[in-house]
Amino acid sequence: MSRYGLLLASILFAAPVFSAPVSEDPLERRMLDIAKDMRCAVCQNQPVSESNADLARDVRRIIREQLEAGKSREEIIAYFVERYGDFVLLKPRYEGAGLVVWILPISFILILGVSAFIFIRRRLRAQLPPPPELSEEDAARVRAARQQEAP
Amino acid sequence: MLSDSLSLNLVELGHFAAHLALAAALLSGLLPLAARWLRAPWLVNLSGNAAIAVFVLTTLGGLTLIHAFVTSNFSVLYVAQNSNLALPMFYKVTALWGGHEGSLYLWVWILALYTVVVAWYGRSRYPQHLPVILAVQGWLMVGFFGLILFLSNPFERLFPAPVDGNDLNPLLQDPGMVFHPPMLYLGYVGFSVPFAFAITALLTRWRSELWIGLIRRWALIAWGFLTAGIMLGGWWAYYELGWGGYWAWDPVENASFMPWLLGTALIHSITVQDRRRMLHTWNIFLVISTFSLSLLGTFLVRSGVLSSVHAFAIDPGRGLYILAFMTIVLGISFGIFLAKGRYQQAQEAITSFLSRESLFVWNNVLFTVACASVLLGTLYPLVLDALTGARITVAAPYFNLVMVPIFLMLLLLMGIGPLVPWRKANPERLKRRLLLPAVAGVIAAVLLPFVFGKVYWTGPVAVGLITFVLGTLMTDLSRAVRQRRAQLNEGIGRALLKTVLGNRRHYGGMVVHFGVVVITVGLVGSGLFRSEISVSMAPGDVVEIGGERLRFEGVRRFRRANYETTEGRMTLLNSGRVVTPERRRYPRQEAPMTEVGIDSTPLRDVYVVLIEPPAGDTKNIPAGTPSATEGGKWAIQVYVNPLVQFIWFGGVIILSGLGLSLSGRRKRAREAKALAATTSVPAK
Repeated sequence: MSRYGLLLASILFAAPVFSAPVSEDPLERRMLDIAKDMRCAVCQNQPVSESNADLARDVRRIIREQLEAGKSREEIIAYFVERYGDFVLLKPRYEGAGLVVWILPISFILILGVSAFIFIRRRLRAQLPPPPELSEEDAARVRAARQQEAP
Repeated sequence: MLSDSLSLNLVELGHFAAHLALAAALLSGLLPLAARWLRAPWLVNLSGNAAIAVFVLTTLGGLTLIHAFVTSNFSVLYVAQNSNLALPMFYKVTALWGGHEGSLYLWVWILALYTVVVAWYGRSRYPQHLPVILAVQGWLMVGFFGLILFLSNPFERLFPAPVDGNDLNPLLQDPGMVFHPPMLYLGYVGFSVPFAFAITALLTRWRSELWIGLIRRWALIAWGFLTAGIMLGGWWAYYELGWGGYWAWDPVENASFMPWLLGTALIHSITVQDRRRMLHTWNIFLVISTFSLSLLGTFLVRSGVLSSVHAFAIDPGRGLYILAFMTIVLGISFGIFLAKGRYQQAQEAITSFLSRESLFVWNNVLFTVACASVLLGTLYPLVLDALTGARITVAAPYFNLVMVPIFLMLLLLMGIGPLVPWRKANPERLKRRLLLPAVAGVIAAVLLPFVFGKVYWTGPVAVGLITFVLGTLMTDLSRAVRQRRAQLNEGIGRALLKTVLGNRRHYGGMVVHFGVVVITVGLVGSGLFRSEISVSMAPGDVVEIGGERLRFEGVRRFRRANYETTEGRMTLLNSGRVVTPERRRYPRQEAPMTEVGIDSTPLRDVYVVLIEPPAGDTKNIPAGTPSATEGGKWAIQVYVNPLVQFIWFGGVIILSGLGLSLSGRRKRAREAKALAATTSVPAK
């Protein structure tokens, strides 16, 4: 992969696309940035950052404590994955079973993109078949239809 | 007692009618086959009558169910489960589609309606193909009636009948949720019409010029309903669920989004086939896939395989039937497609990469990739779990990461495409036309961080593209208006009106694009600039967020028709307006429901949720007593969501653009009529 490819990939895959809830407190902000990528296990499709369930509050407290203890984002996430499995990650990891959902969309766009390119190129050079000849009978029907319509 | 036994008999009558409807649907599915096997061509003339019979019988069944709801006939199990005496009349009627059985019934009812319209509309326009079209829809109805009558029967009785029913899920007691399912189903089922046409075309080698114009309308109508249904769903989630957002990439939302994405690809590539006579095979593939995804969407939501907010009915026992039905429909339709899909060759070549048709191909690539990615993210965790037992989650952060770049590329195409002519563009002229919008876009993108502070990369890119697309839309329109004025010496208003009304298909599409831009503004505003705060507040406390100051005035308690509520009051000190978030307690529900308090202006929504009462909250305060004197602090969540209203405005603009586009007459009706003389492609 070229340097630009790497750069592009790092922008696409590293930058959060939609914002976490904003907070003034930097520690709180770091906590929410982690919490927004974690599933609240007792909720229905809600991240820990947005849930008001007791469990989510506990998770937020634990993240905060671990941040205060100087742990990194990766270490904290590893802590939860170790206990609850990949299930708690709202975004699958770039490895193992999770890799599939990252590789396939890229292959979709490559495969379909290349096919579309080839398709258009082929149609650019296409020798078109001459329009099919109308049978005498059909031609008569066309004439009749046209006549009927003529004012 | 007389009225009791009457309504009892009515339900049985409806139940019987539904069985007859199944028989009539089976008949209409069998007629073309029977006509061939029995060498009795006249049999196909009964197709239309069978379609009418199905519709009348289904309607009869549906009306008896509604009657059972209105008269609170709890001897019907489904009524007892989804309604009660205290439920307001409006929700009694609409509770028909509040649960699993009833919403499947609504699905088949709508299918019967579409079928009868197709039969009526087609009896003079495509009489030769009508029996096959109706047979395809007949078989679909057979499949659904089988599920309804044998596994999910809304007519099922409950003896002895309870005195009062359960309740309609309080989340569904909301106008947004009342109209969301019918709209969505009108969209899903609407795609069954192009589907039936496509299967018929494959089976009869029907010349594509003759059916493409017909399915264009049906596809646009279905797409419009689906759009409306999705917008209503988002609107409902925003007003009712109380988490401050409108779209969570929940599997059930994805279920409706997938057919929408492919349907959007379809309505674009239909134009290519209509104007340039190519992509026949691809369009048939898109039609079949879109309808398959509509089926998948219905079943994902209704089979209970997804554990989420929407899957109100959870009964995996029906899963097997549904899986078998899907397999049969997909197997047969894609089998026919593979066997006969290439029955007609493209009749024109592409002249240049820089042509409208070529850009439409790229549009289709992006929409298809988007749809495939959503499908992957939605189904993969289910499949993985079923096969290996490993559980992973694919949710919003993933979908945003994958979909936002695709969406941005689509915006770029949306800006360029309409300015590129069919066949071949003059690169110099195109460059001249795109220059101004592109410069404006870059300036807007660069300025954004200076005006609004640091923001993620998607913000400037999206704002730049929004400006660019607006610029090209203006360029497109102003050029046409100028030309017209130069030629005809008209006033500007008249020229504008005549231009737009003179080419409704094109400008209808441009209005839809404008609506998409308006929605994008709302998405950027509310997605990137939202602020949120959770606070504990005692009466009199003031909270500041996103330039707004709110004072908590305390709560009052009320008793309403079918629930009790605790209503909070928050005064917005900037404007003096008041919002009243609530916590409601419905007698049959364990957990209290939150009702959001929202103050909307075009530029921002202030969105307040009462999260939790003070610890030790006394419950015995008489209704209506102001309890501002109560001590203790409420947990309250406040969001400021900028520009969120643009999303709903944008939805309305999209639907009006669609209306404009549909109101246009087909220019080439005459040509098609002449062609109609030869209806099928000769076999080689």
